[in-house]
Amino acid sequence: MSVHLKLSRFNRIYRPSELLEGKIILKTQSSISHYGIRLTIKGSVNLQVRGGSAGVVESFYGVIKPIPIVKRTVEVKSSGKIGSGTTEIPFSLNLKQDENLERFYETFHGADISIQYLLTVDISRGYLHKSLSATTEFIIESDKGDLLQRPISPEMVIFYITQDTQRHPLLPELKSGGFRVSGKICTQCSLSSPINGELTVEASAIPIQSIDIQLYRVESILHGEKIVTETSLILTTQIADGDVCRNLTLPIYVILPRLLTCPTIFAGPFSIEFKVAIVISFQSELSKLHKKSDSRTPRLWLATETLPLELVRAM
Amino acid sequence: MEFRPRNYTTDNASHALPRVRADAHPLSAPPPPLAQLNVAVDSGNADFFDPLRGGADNDAKATPLHHRNLSEAAGDQPMKEWTSFRRLLMQKFPVSKMVSLSSMPDVLMRSGKSHEKSSTSMHLEELDDPQKFADEGAKVITWQEYVSRLHELKDEITRSWLAEDRVTSLKLSIQVAKLMVDTSVFEFYPTLFVLVTDIMDMLGDLVWKRIKRKAEFTEDGALVCNLAENFKASDICADAKETCYNWFSKIGAVQDLLPRIYLELAILPCWRFLLDQPIDSLQRLVMMTRGLGNPVASAYCRLYMAHCAQKLPSHDIGYLVTCVNDLRVILTQTSAANESTRGNFKNNKKFQISLMEPTIEYIMKCIFCGLSQRRINEVLLELGLMENRQNFGTVSCASIVLHHLLKELPIEVVISNVLHILHLIEFNKDSSYDQHLNYRLLGFRLYERKCPVDIVNAVLDKVMQVIAPYESLYAYLNVVDAYADLILQNHMDNHLDIILGGVSERASNGGVTEDEMPGLQSLMVKLLSHFECLEDVFCLDHFPEILDVMHGKSQDVVFLHILNMATRSSHIRDLTSIQLLFEISQTLHDNMEFMSVKDDDGQVARSVSRFVHTVDYGTEMEHHLAFLVDCRAAFGRFNELKETLVHSSNSLAIQSLKCAKKDLSFFKSCVTFSEVTIPSITGQRQFDLFLETAEVAFLGGLVSHLDGLIDSAIGCLCTVDKIDGFRTPADVEGLVSSIRKLCGFLVMVPGNINLPVTYFPNNLFTLISSQSWFDPKMRTQIFSAILLLLTTLSQKTLPYHANTEIPGNDMLYYGDSSYKQELVSLSKVVLENLICVVQQEPSKTARGSMALEACNCVASSFTLSNEVSSICLTLIETAKSCLSAQDRCLQSTIRLVNKQLPTFAGTMVSTSV
Repeated sequence: MSVHLKLSRFNRIYRPSELLEGKIILKTQSSISHYGIRLTIKGSVNLQVRGGSAGVVESFYGVIKPIPIVKRTVEVKSSGKIGSGTTEIPFSLNLKQDENLERFYETFHGADISIQYLLTVDISRGYLHKSLSATTEFIIESDKGDLLQRPISPEMVIFYITQDTQRHPLLPELKSGGFRVSGKICTQCSLSSPINGELTVEASAIPIQSIDIQLYRVESILHGEKIVTETSLILTTQIADGDVCRNLTLPIYVILPRLLTCPTIFAGPFSIEFKVAIVISFQSELSKLHKKSDSRTPRLWLATETLPLELVRAM
Repeated sequence: MEFRPRNYTTDNASHALPRVRADAHPLSAPPPPLAQLNVAVDSGNADFFDPLRGGADNDAKATPLHHRNLSEAAGDQPMKEWTSFRRLLMQKFPVSKMVSLSSMPDVLMRSGKSHEKSSTSMHLEELDDPQKFADEGAKVITWQEYVSRLHELKDEITRSWLAEDRVTSLKLSIQVAKLMVDTSVFEFYPTLFVLVTDIMDMLGDLVWKRIKRKAEFTEDGALVCNLAENFKASDICADAKETCYNWFSKIGAVQDLLPRIYLELAILPCWRFLLDQPIDSLQRLVMMTRGLGNPVASAYCRLYMAHCAQKLPSHDIGYLVTCVNDLRVILTQTSAANESTRGNFKNNKKFQISLMEPTIEYIMKCIFCGLSQRRINEVLLELGLMENRQNFGTVSCASIVLHHLLKELPIEVVISNVLHILHLIEFNKDSSYDQHLNYRLLGFRLYERKCPVDIVNAVLDKVMQVIAPYESLYAYLNVVDAYADLILQNHMDNHLDIILGGVSERASNGGVTEDEMPGLQSLMVKLLSHFECLEDVFCLDHFPEILDVMHGKSQDVVFLHILNMATRSSHIRDLTSIQLLFEISQTLHDNMEFMSVKDDDGQVARSVSRFVHTVDYGTEMEHHLAFLVDCRAAFGRFNELKETLVHSSNSLAIQSLKCAKKDLSFFKSCVTFSEVTIPSITGQRQFDLFLETAEVAFLGGLVSHLDGLIDSAIGCLCTVDKIDGFRTPADVEGLVSSIRKLCGFLVMVPGNINLPVTYFPNNLFTLISSQSWFDPKMRTQIFSAILLLLTTLSQKTLPYHANTEIPGNDMLYYGDSSYKQELVSLSKVVLENLICVVQQEPSKTARGSMALEACNCVASSFTLSNEVSSICLTLIETAKSCLSAQDRCLQSTIRLVNKQLPTFAGTMVSTSV
């Protein structure tokens, strides 16, 4: 005896204005009677605060009351009997209703903030039998109507990374010999297209070990009086492996991972932002002594340029 | 028993087949094409291109352009080329026993199947953890182990895929692709590349098929649509697109650059499900590859790109041009860095470049495959090679790139831009490739097609100028060898003098090393094949000197060429030539002895024999014989040659007979020479040669020699078996027919007063009987021949005579009854043996035909008597029991017996029903 939910779309992505459609699939060896089959849609912003930038480690730790977005229960079948074998019960639900509590933020799975939409089916069978239930996550993407109206700026930010742009100490030979890496990168980016840009190593006194593009999320939560902000790494993409040729343009091309990214949000109680960092590692004996640790720690053999990245949902 | 009197003339008339005049000579059938061919070859026509020439110079051999059919049906062609290219790649870099790695990747650890599973289910991030920073120093693994581990991984990937665990397949593939990062495996890298890309291709194929299936079928397996070959992205349903996009996202999330590029290349064709113009992705991938700092890794990555891009339905080669340009930049920078570094490092770089070479070669091939003239010019522009026609000094192009470009350019383009190319070669003198090899290649390319004389002149003037200061004979030879054909073809004698002088000068200064020998050989062979006659070649300045510095195998090859060239004419009369060729032959002969060079196909022996055969001293026969004596002393190893010597001396003897003034002592010398030479020849040829010499001696009237020679011939039959380890049926037949010939010859040989009348036949018979290796069939044939010989000798008139000077036995023993008696008594013994032998044959059919042969022989040899009749009857019975009654030979034998022995007919008729 099992029940599970099958959504109409393979990728489970729906827009708030669309109907959430699918089937309840019930498999049973013998016929069973029930007191109604109900579907529940539940969407919420879940927040948690850890130590991190708030400073105090243990005391702050805790889950903050989630912010509900939607919660609705619909009965798809009133009480009755279900025959043996496989039974499929199709359903079709409106996501958006007038009495919505919050706007439909896009699904996001972050470190401290997660925005999640769940669909649950419950088959209650009275007190004598255990009720059957199944839950599945579906993914919300913004409505076309809510999309950014203005076009995404095609402009890119030009950056230069040299020994002088670094605020942390560098290897002496690097500081004296110098290096210069220039390039451009888009800082407003559609979620459906990759982060684009290019980069050129113009000069470097020390051979380059690697150049990586790091994508960070910056999650801020209003907690009492304070805003607690946590920055964490989502994805590292190497674009240069070894000492690349000077003055050859390298492309920056990073596909944004689904669920781990969403449009940049500034809501009252929380905000989600993103940053992109260009990290240049130089060949150094010292780097071999250190295991790969937090990539944001400034090291003698690293040079970094961090830029804000605005993610938007566009067509 | 009594011999049957024979009338040979009437027998001949009654048995000879009627002669009919033929309409055409059987050998003169279709003359025109044959004659044409001969002309073409013999005149050394310049248009005649020998496809086999230059087989030794691999690097110079320009690969013919494949005019690839661009239709979909021909899609297999590049894949076939790829397969053969991969094989060549592996052969080019044979792997040493051990592979040393800069670090041991987890994926290569064979640590139990269960552990394997858990390790593969680890997160990508965990696997990404670069352990290589922790372990220092090289690790070593045998290549067999490495390869078998890769095969295992391939199987694992397939297995997980089939088990719907595609994530594991992908993760393993990422691990496999990561192996390509470590280029410290050196010569193993190409093999690794082949193995890894094989796995990548397999994965790409699996993904392609999966998405295609998603596009064509619903989840329940119902057919939605059949995708056409040239489908559009809009034909693909959302689900399939989603899956496809997921693959690109997953691969896009791979942190390391190199595996990310390899995997995206593997599934490159899948872009077609998402985009109508997947070429943009290719352009991006080309740019991404620039991020690979290691030149070898990046070159092989581009190679894989060139391969994968061929799977797209139509692809512009722009991306390949970018690849080549990038490689050029890399090579220029590496070789610039090269100059400032030390020797060891330099060797490393050289090896690095040799590893990269095949990738450049393949990419160049892909670029110029079936390209239009217009597009070629564009490509050359894009490569930056057509700019600055006035100021060549600014055009920079790594010489190795230039080499492979020159190799692939269509010959028309080479010819029309030859001066420009010369300047490019001149300007690009860097460590990536030896400059002289580019000059060499240009020479070979120009010879591909007849080009205008003014161009050839201009090129040669320039090249001569360039190579004049070369100090190394090796480099000099490499270049001049390539231009030798052009020089010879255009009869540029001054250039020919210069290059021969140049070679000779450099060879005499520093000697000739083993490396330079093949170049020298090639040049010499070209000269030899160009000229018609040997004298012309030897007239060339410096030719003899160059010939003198040659040694070893190359010398043999050139000598053999000279020898073959000389023996092309029917006579060699010039004494100097004979002397020279004799010395050459002697060197060849001695080299075979001292250097234990195997003359497997007997080519040297054959050529020397032909030379000895061709030598002709004309009327100076004494000299000729002396020459033969010298040859016998000099060429002891050539068995075949001694045969030629015997033939030559025999023919010399005959020639002396034909002379106006007969010199009998010279004739004797020749025969004696033959006589003493034959015993040193092994094998059954001895018998034939003795027989031949005996015939010659007989012709010259040397009856005393004759007896000795025949004795020797018969005597050598006992040694035949001991010498020949094995004998082919043809050999056996040959020997039997030689013995029969001897019998035929003995008819003419006059009896010796000191010897018994039946001395030779008796000897022959005794010997054959005593040698156990003569099988029943041979014996039957030989005994029959002896019987017939005896019959013939008993006739009043012999069927043939040598000449009037030597009387036949019919004259010598005319009316001598004891003579006849002796013949009869021997024939009785032979006949008994013959009948015995027939019954010994184990094979039924053989026994039958042997019985018939014996019966024929008996019936025609003896007159009717009870004894003869019963013998014939027995033989016929034997034949009948062995052969079918329809056997034609049996029937005709019965007819013969009926005719020859009429009283016997009654019995025969009754038995034959």
